[in-house]
Amino acid sequence: MATRMKLKLKTVFVLYFMVSLLGLVYALMQLGQRCDCTEHDMPKDRTISRLRGELHRLQEQIRKSEATKQPQKQATKSSLPTIFVITPTYARLVQKAELIRLSQTFLHVPQLHWIVVEDSPHKTPLVTDLLVKSGLTYTHLHMPTAKDRKLQEGDPSWLKPRGVEQRNEGLRWLREDRRAQPGGDNQQGVVYFADDDNTYSLQIFEEMRGTQRVSVWPVGLVGGMKYERPVVEGGKVVRFHTGWRPSRPFPMDMAGFAVSLKLVLANPEACFDGEAPMGFLESSFLQGLVTMDELEPKAANCSKVLVWHTRTEKPKMKREEALQAQGLGSDPAVEV
Amino acid sequence: MPKRRDILAIVLIVLPWTLLITVWHQSAIAPLLAIRKACHHLVKEIFIIPERLAVRHQQLSDDGVEGKREAGGQVQDSKEYCASDKDIVEVVRTEYVYTRPPPWSDVLPTIHIITPTYSRPVQKAELTRLANTFLHVPNLHWILVEDSQRRTPLVTRLLRETGLNYTHLNVETPRNYKLRGDTRDPRIPRGTMQRNLALRWLRETFNANSSQAGIVYFADDDNTYSLELFEEMRSTRKVSVWPVAFVGGLRYESPKVNAAGKVYGWKTVFDPHRPFAIDMAGFAINLRLILFKPQAYFKLRGVKGGYQESSLLRELVTLNDLEPKAANCTKILVWHTRTEKPVLVNEGKKGFTDPNVEI
Repeated sequence: MATRMKLKLKTVFVLYFMVSLLGLVYALMQLGQRCDCTEHDMPKDRTISRLRGELHRLQEQIRKSEATKQPQKQATKSSLPTIFVITPTYARLVQKAELIRLSQTFLHVPQLHWIVVEDSPHKTPLVTDLLVKSGLTYTHLHMPTAKDRKLQEGDPSWLKPRGVEQRNEGLRWLREDRRAQPGGDNQQGVVYFADDDNTYSLQIFEEMRGTQRVSVWPVGLVGGMKYERPVVEGGKVVRFHTGWRPSRPFPMDMAGFAVSLKLVLANPEACFDGEAPMGFLESSFLQGLVTMDELEPKAANCSKVLVWHTRTEKPKMKREEALQAQGLGSDPAVEV
Repeated sequence: MPKRRDILAIVLIVLPWTLLITVWHQSAIAPLLAIRKACHHLVKEIFIIPERLAVRHQQLSDDGVEGKREAGGQVQDSKEYCASDKDIVEVVRTEYVYTRPPPWSDVLPTIHIITPTYSRPVQKAELTRLANTFLHVPNLHWILVEDSQRRTPLVTRLLRETGLNYTHLNVETPRNYKLRGDTRDPRIPRGTMQRNLALRWLRETFNANSSQAGIVYFADDDNTYSLELFEEMRSTRKVSVWPVAFVGGLRYESPKVNAAGKVYGWKTVFDPHRPFAIDMAGFAINLRLILFKPQAYFKLRGVKGGYQESSLLRELVTLNDLEPKAANCTKILVWHTRTEKPVLVNEGKKGFTDPNVEI
């Protein structure tokens, strides 16, 4: 009985082992082939198709809501105060590039009127074409600077004030144009002086739109510092944080303030004084318009930098000049 | 002796079963991986869109002037929703936010713009005006690669606030490779590692067989781009080229185009015999070509000044395949402007201004 049992057990074990081995071999062969695991795929596939359906439905909804949004946008647009941006510019190699990227920023700002004043005895085709193609609302003016007031080659940039006559011309045109408009001196609007090489974020334009008299904010990378700004206490400007001559009446950069149109129209004599000492250009304009405690601080109580006084390098033209000396200069018909 | 036999028997029984179990476990997991990837993409789209929708409804009812697009400012790593995918190499950490405000068309090829950037005082200003330009271009995907150890909050915040469709990457150039202000002896030209990382990201994200049309363009953060340029490059089949202003000490450098509309040379003064005497901003590559030649990268070391672009292009295309754009390379649509380094003398040694204010 014992041996029979043993034998039986032995065969059982052997059979068991063989079956397991066969099963293993079968499984290994299955691994090499594509798995037909439909039970795993089904719920995932269902989730995916459901999500896709939802995605398309939501996209449709967005498209529909956008279509209805458009007319509303138009209605709010006309009630926004217009920002008049006065930009003096002069011909140099990087002029077209600067104006193009400036226009690309301005295109995002609703109700903006760009007043470009060229330092030139007549309007140049470069600027004319650029303005037409830009798609902006613009006014193209020109006013040449007197020769003795102009910076010569090799002069440092701070030697003579720049853009004075052009900004004054912009103000003059604005006053003349607005006087003829309905509403007279009570028109809503803001005047901002934007140089063509600075960098503007889109927020600064929304900050300045509500200016009642003169609003101010910090300017980055100016005055030999990371930023210059008015110091605000209790919602009022008490002094200016600047590294250079803080005793000036308004030690700010041109890009750091905006004036309401009403104030500009109410003070027809206010303009920039080209004879003012270096750094006093802004003060010469603002002195007659406003006092320090009337200034409106913007940009979160003058704690955020939303405009930067960047300057563009003069491109090196050594090889061009060498070629031109040989009469092989690049085609001047190609506008750069 | 029976004991040994018993043990042997037990082992012989248990072994195949354990093998069997492990094998079945593995084969059950494989199909799930494929589904996870699909989940990835859908999560990006699904979880973002409802946010946009919610804000738009708010805008309609507000009728106030809501200029800021707070919508979809969700910085979401979709990896949190789908089980984390360990297949992507560690260095590539992406933040892919699909919140492009319209327009986005289903037919236009996507332009992938690769911009390396590094921290310096004018960085925020440069990126801001670059973003202002890009916001006008439909179907644009901005791949911004920082030269830093980790992604800085300045750039993260900026990208989120623009509302652009972007991917934010970072890789630090090893210190001894960085330009030491001595531009005559650069070890690795600036931005190379960052551009290569972006190329690798593209290759890992997009499948060579997929039908997504795309164009890859290398845009430095201080140049100036006209909007026309992006429309010119959209029709690139392999590699397209055009003139660039203010490079090589000239008013502009441009490819020489013959009457048949083929490029046969380069109108430059500085080494016109380079295989591709062109600036980084002067060419664009079709995404399919990038994916088709996965070994093509910018050469890191041993590259002579001015040969960077050639090191990549010669692995992708020959002179004959180049497509001239911008009216047969006669119009200037991109300017290699450079921004002056601001003079910060008045900061002094300790810093005059509050360092918490971001510039």
